[in-house]
Amino acid sequence: MKTYNIDVLKDAANRLLFDMSEAEYKTLLNEFDIVVKQMKLIGDNKGLDAYEPMVFPFECTTDYLREDEPGEPLSREEALRNSPRKAGGQIKLPRVVQ
Amino acid sequence: MIFEPVIGLEIHVELKTKSKMFSNGPVTYGKDANTQTVPLDLAFPGTLPTVNKQGVVYAIRVCHALHMKIDNELHFDRKNYFYSDLPKGYQITQDKRPIGSDGYLTIEINGKEKKIGIERLHIEEDTCKQLHFKDFTLLNYNRAGTPLIEIVSRPELRSGEEAMKYVEKIRSIVVFSNVSDGKMEEGSLRCDVNVSIREKGSEKFGTKVEIKNINSISYIQKAIDFEVERQSKIIENGGEVLQETRRYDDAKKETLPMRLKTDSVDYKYYPEANITPIKLSDEFIKNAIESCPELAESKLKRYMSEYGLNDYDASLLVSDKEISEYYDACTKFTNAYKLLANWVNVDVLGYLNKNNIVISNFPMSPEHLGGLVNLVAKNDVSSNQAREIFTKMIEENVDALKAKQILGISSQISDESMILNVINEVLKENPQSIIDYKEGKGRALGFMIGQVMKKTQGKVNPKLTNDLLLEELKRR
Repeated sequence: MKTYNIDVLKDAANRLLFDMSEAEYKTLLNEFDIVVKQMKLIGDNKGLDAYEPMVFPFECTTDYLREDEPGEPLSREEALRNSPRKAGGQIKLPRVVQ
Repeated sequence: MIFEPVIGLEIHVELKTKSKMFSNGPVTYGKDANTQTVPLDLAFPGTLPTVNKQGVVYAIRVCHALHMKIDNELHFDRKNYFYSDLPKGYQITQDKRPIGSDGYLTIEINGKEKKIGIERLHIEEDTCKQLHFKDFTLLNYNRAGTPLIEIVSRPELRSGEEAMKYVEKIRSIVVFSNVSDGKMEEGSLRCDVNVSIREKGSEKFGTKVEIKNINSISYIQKAIDFEVERQSKIIENGGEVLQETRRYDDAKKETLPMRLKTDSVDYKYYPEANITPIKLSDEFIKNAIESCPELAESKLKRYMSEYGLNDYDASLLVSDKEISEYYDACTKFTNAYKLLANWVNVDVLGYLNKNNIVISNFPMSPEHLGGLVNLVAKNDVSSNQAREIFTKMIEENVDALKAKQILGISSQISDESMILNVINEVLKENPQSIIDYKEGKGRALGFMIGQVMKKTQGKVNPKLTNDLLLEELKRR
């Protein structure tokens, strides 16, 4: 299993475009330690592979399907408000293909 | 060495819903960039997906047309990848439990039917549109979230022609079932082709090359034919086909490399926890199937069995959904179905081609065309006169009787006894023509018909006149 350390967390935060204080990274690392230990405890149980992973907290289904009725779209200004670079009403970013 | 192509197709079809698959964002085409989004389409925090009922209905219709097993529970998964066309960082799709599985489609090759297996059909969402420039990329999220179905064939196609026919048939199904407009040039039907070759008789697959985003049905055949030849030459020359993604360039009539595929991408699929599994009742599935408009195959059979059309005429009518709907509308106003088919296939299509318009812009109502066909059917006007009337009807936007009146065309005489009287007059006045005819001079017959026409100012039904004159000549 991959080892978690401050550098791994900083790298992950950087990839996800956010940053934290050193104290917050330490707190997060401690939490990772706890989570990893708990995972190990679970993993120590024998015969786990025989069980399907659980996605929902309990067995449930619905029959709800949304009617096909369009809602009011966001204005372009609202839609692009978080974008630092725009051109011609579109989000502009460095070329993403070679 | 004799090679055998192994071809599999993945077809993405944009569904003709009013709203997106997992949000109520509007589905439109050609609107200003980034004006057709709601928060979920842009992955704004705090948004949750909901499943579009009509999208599910459409998927069921296509599953049924492709003879697939339809899952009565909807399950969605996340396909994770980090790319700018997908703001959530994952696409909602169906990985483990597609709505449709294990179906088939029948195509006709050289007069023989061939069944092509279809592995799966799943529901998913479209990505945003990216425009790539020299050193930057622009993103338009209007398309993000548009409902898609992906239809994955088994690798059972063996030529470019088979692949083309397969796509044509899928296109016909999605268009006639009103599920999609199926326009390849506008991207509402997109096709990725997997091609490999192997020694004929071998069970082992060769190295697969993927040709992406082919945007015309005819290009599918051309791209595959080129690719099969390219791969064959590589192997014949002792080389090795690379596992890569290519694109088809119609200007060069060849496929060109896009990128090498060293490993298959791991999308780390896992269940979409924000959408609880959805039960589809038997009644819901039944209604989705029964509400499906008549498909081309069924129409073709009906035109032949009920209307007595031949295969050619019927096939031509069902090659376009709108044309067949126009024909159907005309059948409410005439019973002369064969004649009507002829008028639609020859005169109406001819007019559309000449004026470069589609049937929805054709200026003659089905009622008016039906009326004109009735005039021809009861021999009230000749075919030539009917064509003049057809043109006048369009020019003046009037019905057939009014156009006939404007043109001063009087009704054809189809009264047999009246025509016979004139024929007998002509025969009496031209005994030499009878002798000439008996001696095999073909022109004599034309002369005598001409005389009948002259005496009646061209008002007699020419076919009837011809038949009666031949009968009369036999007697002499």
